[in-house]
Amino acid sequence: MPQPLLAQTPTIATPIGTPAGTPIVNTAGLRYDADGTSQSTSSNTVTIIVAERLDVALVRDGQGAIVVSAQPVAIPLTLTNLDNGAESFVLAASVSPGMATLRALVIDTDGDGFYDPAKDVAPVDGKTPLLAPGQSIKLLAILVATPEGGATNAVLTVTARSMTGSGATGNVYPSAGDGGGDAVVGPTGALATVSVPLGTALAGPVLLKSQSVRAADGSQTAVRDAVITYTLEARFTDAVTGARIADPIPVGTVFVPGSLTLDGAPLSDGVDDDAGRFDPSTAQGAGITVALGRVAAGSIHTVQFKAKIQ
Amino acid sequence: MITRPMIAAVLVATAAAASAAAGPLQVSSSILVEARSAAADGTTRVTLVKPTKVTPGDKVIFVLAYRNSGAQPLANVVLDNPLPRQIAYRSANPGSPAPDVSVDGKTYGSLATLRVRSPDGSTRAASPNDVTSVRWRLASPLAAGSQGQFAFQAVLK
Repeated sequence: MPQPLLAQTPTIATPIGTPAGTPIVNTAGLRYDADGTSQSTSSNTVTIIVAERLDVALVRDGQGAIVVSAQPVAIPLTLTNLDNGAESFVLAASVSPGMATLRALVIDTDGDGFYDPAKDVAPVDGKTPLLAPGQSIKLLAILVATPEGGATNAVLTVTARSMTGSGATGNVYPSAGDGGGDAVVGPTGALATVSVPLGTALAGPVLLKSQSVRAADGSQTAVRDAVITYTLEARFTDAVTGARIADPIPVGTVFVPGSLTLDGAPLSDGVDDDAGRFDPSTAQGAGITVALGRVAAGSIHTVQFKAKIQ
Repeated sequence: MITRPMIAAVLVATAAAASAAAGPLQVSSSILVEARSAAADGTTRVTLVKPTKVTPGDKVIFVLAYRNSGAQPLANVVLDNPLPRQIAYRSANPGSPAPDVSVDGKTYGSLATLRVRSPDGSTRAASPNDVTSVRWRLASPLAAGSQGQFAFQAVLK
């Protein structure tokens, strides 16, 4: 099923720009006529040195929850130096307490997305080598399931921070830039973070159904003419398209017209523009259908309808 | 040990200043940035200051201040500023006359009149990013002792 792409980190479209330390040199020329002859000369020359803008991006290559097991699993990430100078980045990775344990965070030397212990080594002192402006490297977070770790889902967090400095946009590190100029923290704060949800089983969409009964006398007794409210809660871990919920009306009950809702908003029973409808005669008998269409990752949608006991 | 190179640097700077000041028309070029501060009356005051930390995408203001320091008027004064290649032209600075611009260093005019030739031979309207040089002409002679300035806004590529 086609799935919309999820951006882990806002894409930075800004080009890297003029390298830090570049001198910008300006001289104006001038001409004039004096005593009937044409003269030309030039202005003074003014020079400014381009400062270093500290910026970094870290994105995960892929999306959705990662399944960890006793066998190590590698999660590929891409680190990009968005700095206009050469920069090294301090890397850190951690897993929140739960069913997974971080084995290592390594540089994927050949960038193939697979862990090769002979080549893919942990960065020295937790730092990347100097990366040229715009240069990207691949990282791999190696995880295994924690023995007796239980079923509590965990989250992997990886951060990359500019060696020269990070913090609020506009912070200045005097004379710390390439070429002797200042270094200035750019729009990314010179810090990038990626969070990856971890699980022990592939978590597809889950549909939870519950019901409540209300009889004419106000009790919860399931007697004739008591009304049952059915609640269908659909939980999506990943973004999907074309999602739909269908539920038959239970035998021995009749659908209460006009009772269908999606996330609290009423849906008409007919086949029309809105997402829901009631079908008096499907292959499984009478039933409701709600088309959710495209849903976002991590979203929950709730469908309710009422049926009367006969 | 460090004294000698410093003296050399000072001497070079003096020599440059002397050559620029040789004629009666003196032009001082500067690259500035806008500094915003809150004024006492609640408005925002924009002043031009020397930059300390220009990074790609930042706006810079090029200022050419001119003065006739001689005793005679100067006719047909033209100031010509080829842009450093890391600089993208934007517009005249508010308060300054608009310069004629050029995309080839030969033909000057307003931006709307200029076209850029593509490698396939077709042409398109010029945009500020195509500007390679700006130029101002003084319409009337510059009287002895009088002065003025031109300024344009640009962006560091």
